[in-house]
Amino acid sequence: MDTFIQLTVNGLTLGSVYALIALGYTLVYGILKLLNFAHGDVFMVGSFIGFGTLQALGGATDPVVPVWLLLVTVTAAAMAGCALLGVAIERFAYRPLRDAPRIAPLISALGVSFFLANSMQLLFGARQRDYDIFSLSNGDLYLKGLDIGNVKVPLLRLIVIASAFVLMVVLWLLVTRTRTGKAMRATSFDREAAAMMGIDIDRVIVFTFVLGSALAGAAGVMYSLRVPTSASVGFLVGLKGFTAAVIGGIGSIPGAMAGGLALGFAEGYLQGYLPPEWARWSDLFVFVILILFMLFRPQGLFGRPDIKKV
Amino acid sequence: MKKAIALALVAGAAAIVAATAVAQSSGKASAAASPVSCSGTLKIAFVTPLTGGASFLGTEQLTWAKYAVKTIPPTLGLKIRLLTGDTPVEQGSAPAQSLAQKYVADARVVGILGPSTSGAVAATSQTYFDAGLAHVSPSATRTSLTKGDKKEATPAFFRVIPGDYIQGPSDANFMIEKLKVKKVVVLDFQEPYSVGLADAVERTLKKGGVSTTRLSIANTVTDFSSFVTKVPNDADVVFFPTQKPGDAQTFAKQLLEQGKTAKVFGGDGSNDASTFKTAGSYVSNFAPDITGIAADAAILAGWKKDNPGTPVGSFGPPSYGAVQVLLNAIKLACNQGDGKINDRRDVIRNMKKVKLNNWILGGNFRFSTKSNDPLNAKFYIFQIQSNGSYKLVG
Repeated sequence: MDTFIQLTVNGLTLGSVYALIALGYTLVYGILKLLNFAHGDVFMVGSFIGFGTLQALGGATDPVVPVWLLLVTVTAAAMAGCALLGVAIERFAYRPLRDAPRIAPLISALGVSFFLANSMQLLFGARQRDYDIFSLSNGDLYLKGLDIGNVKVPLLRLIVIASAFVLMVVLWLLVTRTRTGKAMRATSFDREAAAMMGIDIDRVIVFTFVLGSALAGAAGVMYSLRVPTSASVGFLVGLKGFTAAVIGGIGSIPGAMAGGLALGFAEGYLQGYLPPEWARWSDLFVFVILILFMLFRPQGLFGRPDIKKV
Repeated sequence: MKKAIALALVAGAAAIVAATAVAQSSGKASAAASPVSCSGTLKIAFVTPLTGGASFLGTEQLTWAKYAVKTIPPTLGLKIRLLTGDTPVEQGSAPAQSLAQKYVADARVVGILGPSTSGAVAATSQTYFDAGLAHVSPSATRTSLTKGDKKEATPAFFRVIPGDYIQGPSDANFMIEKLKVKKVVVLDFQEPYSVGLADAVERTLKKGGVSTTRLSIANTVTDFSSFVTKVPNDADVVFFPTQKPGDAQTFAKQLLEQGKTAKVFGGDGSNDASTFKTAGSYVSNFAPDITGIAADAAILAGWKKDNPGTPVGSFGPPSYGAVQVLLNAIKLACNQGDGKINDRRDVIRNMKKVKLNNWILGGNFRFSTKSNDPLNAKFYIFQIQSNGSYKLVG
C-alpha cells in the first residue's frame, strides 16, 4: 500500500507538470488548429529563466528574500519571460503563415523548436543546471511535509501540485467566466464568424500564446525545482506534454488536465510496478499509449469526434 | 530531354561519389605514407564531449590539455598545435566517426588525445588503427576496450587511467570491506559505460555474499522518483554509474525525500564536486586530488594562472598526463626518424617505451607489458562531506 501511495504521489507531481504543458498545446490547437512543437522548448526556456532569476536573488544557498517570495518571484519571472517569448514566436513564426497550408506553420514550429534548443545551448552550454532547492531552508522542502500512512509527501511536491492546480483553475475560470475567455471560445469554434462578430482575432490569438507560454514557463520552474534542467530537456518533456494533450483530447482544456495527470500516473506506475527489465522501457509504453489512442480513440478522453458533413 | 537530364544528373552524382572515395582512400594512403618533418608544427587532435550532458568532462579536460600543449612541447623541442573535436554523448558515435575521418586525412595529425568516452573509442579505434594513428585516452575506462577475447579497441589505443575492470571490483570491495554492506541496489542506464561498470560491481558484490537488486533506467529519465520507490528500505548503498553528476545529485535527494537511508555510490562519471554534493555519498575516480601531490605544485600553479577561478577537478590532470605520454612518444618517433616521423605508426611503436617519473597523478608512469593500460593503476574513492568537498577514503 505504501508503494502505491508513493507512486501515486510521484505520478501526481509529474502529471501536474505534464498537464500545464498539455494546456499550452491544447489552447493553441483549439484556436489555430496548429500543433505548436516549439512549446516544449518554451518550457525549457522557462526553466532557464527561473534558474537565472534564482541566481540573481542569491541562489538557493544565500537567498536575499524569504523562501516563499523567492519561489513566487522565480515562477512569475519564468511565466512573464515565456509569455513574451510566446508573443514573439506567434508574431514572427506563425502569423505570416496563418493562411498558408497547414504544413507550413507545422514546419515553422519545428524550426522554432530547433532554434530555441540550439540557441540556449550556444548561450548557456549543455551543462545541467540545478536549482539546488535542497539547500534552500536546509532541506526542509524535501524533508518536511504531509504524512499519508508511512509515506511522507514533502513540502516541495505539495507546492508543485498545489501551484499547478491553482494555475489550472485560474485558466479554467479565465476561459469560462471572462469576456476574453468567451472571445477565445468563439474564435476556437469559428474564427471567421468570431471576426464578423467584432472579435479582434489577432488579439485573441496573441493572448492565447501568452497564456499557453506562461503556463509552459511555470511548468519549467516546477519541473526544475526537483530535477536539473538543460538545453535538451524540452524535447522529450514537450513530447510527453503533447502526448498528454492528445490523450486528453487535443483542443479540450479539461482533457489536457486529465491527460497530463493520466500520463504522470501511467509513467509512475509503469516504472514502479514493472519488473526491472520492463520498467526501463517506460517511455516506450507511454508512446505506445499515444498510438493506441490515435488508433482507437483519436478524439482523446474528452474531445469530440470530428464529424464531417457528407 | 528529361530522360537525358536525369541520366546526366545520375552520372554526375556517381562521378562525385567515386571521386570522393578515391580522394579519401588516396588521402588516407598519403597521410600514412608521407614522412612528416618534426621541425614544423605537428598536430594532435583532442576528441572529447565539449557539449552535451558530459560536457563537464570535456571542458575540464580541455583546459588541462591546452596547458599541457602550451608547456610540454618546448621541453621536448617540438611545436604542437592542438585541434579539438566535439563528441556530445547524446549523439552516439556519429560525431566521433566523422572526426576520425577528418583527422586521419590530415597528414600533420600524428596522434589523437582521446577519445574521452568509451563509446567513441569503440566506434573509431579501427579507423585510427588503419591510418596508423595512436590514440591515448585520459578517461575511457570500459574494460572491453583492452581486455577480453573480443577487445573493442585496437593495438593503437592506449589509456593512462585504469579500466572499469579495476573500478568495478575496487568499488565493490570498498563497499564490502569498509562499508560492510549487506544489500546493494545496482543501477545501469542502458549504455555501455554504466552497464559494464554495473556488471563488474554486481559480480564482485555477489562473490562477496552481498544481496543485490539490479535496476535499469533509460538514459533519458530525469525524474527518478518511481525508481527510488523501488529501492528497498534496508538497502545500504545504491550504485549509480551515471555520466551526469546532476542525475546523481537528483537521485540522492530523492532518496532522502522518500526517507530511504541508502547512500549513493557514483562512478567516475559522477565526479563533479560543484554538482554532486549530497553529504555522505561516495564517488570513485581514476585520479586522486593532485592538490595533495607536492611534485605537482608548479604545474598546478601554472594551470591556475591560465584558468583563474576554475576548480581543479580530477578529470583534467589525466588529460595533461595523456598529452605528456603522447608527446614523449612523438619525440621518440622523431628521434628514431632523424627529425622526421616516417610513418605515423612509429608513434604507436614508441608509446610503450615512454616512462615518466613524477607522473602528475603520483608516482611513476609506464604502460603494462601485458596491455596498453597503465601499470599498477588504481581507483580512488571519495566521500562527500557536509561542506560538499570530496574526502579521500579509499
